[in-house]
Amino acid sequence: MYEYEGEDVFVIDSHLHLWDATEENIVHEGGEQFIQCFYDYHTAFTPEEKQWSLEEYRKYGAERMKRDLFGNGAVDMGIFQPTYLTDFYDEGFNTAEQNAELAEEYPERFVLNGTFDPRDGEEGLEYLEELNDKYDLQGVKLYTAEWRGDSKGWRLDSEESFKFLEKCAELGIRNVHPHKGPTIRPLNRDAFDVADVDDAATSFPELNFVVEHVGLPRLDDFCWIAAQEPNVYGGLAVAAPMAVHRPRKFGEIMGELLFWLGEDRLLFGSDYALWNPDWLVDVVMNAELTEEQRDEYGVELDLETKKKIMGENAAELYDIDIEEKKREFQSDDITAEFGLEDHYGPSTASADD
Amino acid sequence: MSTDSLDGGGDDGTVTERQVRERLDRVTDPELDTSIVELEYIDAIRIDGDEVHVAFTLPTAWCSPAFAWMMATDARDEVEALPGVTRTTVELHEHMHETEINRGVNERLPFGEAFPDADGDVAPVRAELDEKARLARQHDATGTLLDAGLGGDQIVSLTREDLAFDDGRARVWVRDGALAVTVDADPLERYLEKARATGLVDDGHPELFRTPEGDPIDSESFELVRHRTRSAGVNMSGQGSVCDALHEARQADGRPPLSMR
Repeated sequence: MYEYEGEDVFVIDSHLHLWDATEENIVHEGGEQFIQCFYDYHTAFTPEEKQWSLEEYRKYGAERMKRDLFGNGAVDMGIFQPTYLTDFYDEGFNTAEQNAELAEEYPERFVLNGTFDPRDGEEGLEYLEELNDKYDLQGVKLYTAEWRGDSKGWRLDSEESFKFLEKCAELGIRNVHPHKGPTIRPLNRDAFDVADVDDAATSFPELNFVVEHVGLPRLDDFCWIAAQEPNVYGGLAVAAPMAVHRPRKFGEIMGELLFWLGEDRLLFGSDYALWNPDWLVDVVMNAELTEEQRDEYGVELDLETKKKIMGENAAELYDIDIEEKKREFQSDDITAEFGLEDHYGPSTASADD
Repeated sequence: MSTDSLDGGGDDGTVTERQVRERLDRVTDPELDTSIVELEYIDAIRIDGDEVHVAFTLPTAWCSPAFAWMMATDARDEVEALPGVTRTTVELHEHMHETEINRGVNERLPFGEAFPDADGDVAPVRAELDEKARLARQHDATGTLLDAGLGGDQIVSLTREDLAFDDGRARVWVRDGALAVTVDADPLERYLEKARATGLVDDGHPELFRTPEGDPIDSESFELVRHRTRSAGVNMSGQGSVCDALHEARQADGRPPLSMR
């Protein structure tokens, strides 16, 4: 567990991938450009001594991922957010099944999200049910800009999409994570537009919409939608690492988010392996608003707020009992493997032994 | 702002690199609303008699082709507007669509012809970004007026006729013309440029400042609109930071070359 000035901070990294971008898996030039684009982001927002080589970055595997997340105790739990991109990658970039390799081995440490794509029609609905049967889904990650044949994307507020959202509601899959972030495939910038979250969130008040990457580069549109829709949340993947080299900008963005959404609707995510929580958690925990920013926005990014963002808000959405988890982690496999017993303290029963 | 008059060209009547650079300085990265010269996108300027060649690189290889297209065509048109320049060619480097863009811009094709697969035209993309730039600039302009002592109720009722520009200063008339406040003209001029581009200057409403939806602002909504325009500015400068960091990463020593399959 991360410790900040003597206080424990339970970290749930809400945005993880176990991806494969090896050349053997790439079947479309988009797949190569996609990983290279990711690598640009990686190097741009990673301290130099922490940067990976492009080869390491293509495929790192379950063992390394486990070590990066838990080895230094930066992360306590993680949520897998699959990205299929099956037009680009033969086996997919990181499907629920690929992510399950780690999630199934350590179910106490991971939440495994599924996905849907309304362009798959009936077959897609069946696949969603199948994923739900297999993994008991609590959430789905959606990629509205994904290419599928001739289609360059889909809208969350379309009739077809609503069928899938209805299915989610019916199956008790409460958390919907649309990726609304920087444009990667340029000719369809609109597919990343956060505008379609508005109607979906209004129409499905029983679902939570966690907008991954807080709509950047449409942060203002995102904030305005979230200000009116209480079931809209912000996933900080991509925004968080700005704290490294652009702390002032990070402060401004956090100021906006806290001003419009408040401290209960923001979730930390590293987007691993885009960035590595083994250093990112520390950077975000040490980020501060300037006095000017605190005055401008009338908000605080203090320890209480950070604890919510780093874990408590995700725990709320995913029904995670943090105190119970801490007790469980005193003696689970991950704790044994990485010697984390001190992090979770001795159990009260054995305290005097 | 322009110093064209001070630098009328080279001794042989050809344009100078400085003149070209000044024209390019008017071209913005539409997503950031910042000059492409200031952003250091320009790699080289070559002048060959009445022909000018401009080479540039964007922060990312996958930067939107629509944005790249806007910058390339704007650069071409700005430089070609210089007296003594008959033809300008641009060359975008290290972009996944550099071939289509360079060919399209230099052969003067419409966007749709250069990118037959594109979903739409450049115009709506430009309009969306102009709108964001308008909001961010409105925030700066209204901030300048607040600093000068105007109240929200006064700011929302200002019209174009209440402004008079003179030598870098703007006089702003309030209280039915009973009082004028003088401020730096730049934020107001910059705002007007984008208000014009987004069609808000001659749309039948006299009010200078508007909501994000383009409507006049009620005085009780002034604070809310201020907050919304603030977030538009933070969004733009935030995206600017992202691009800037990506640009640095691309230029870093030892960065593997872009492989194009």
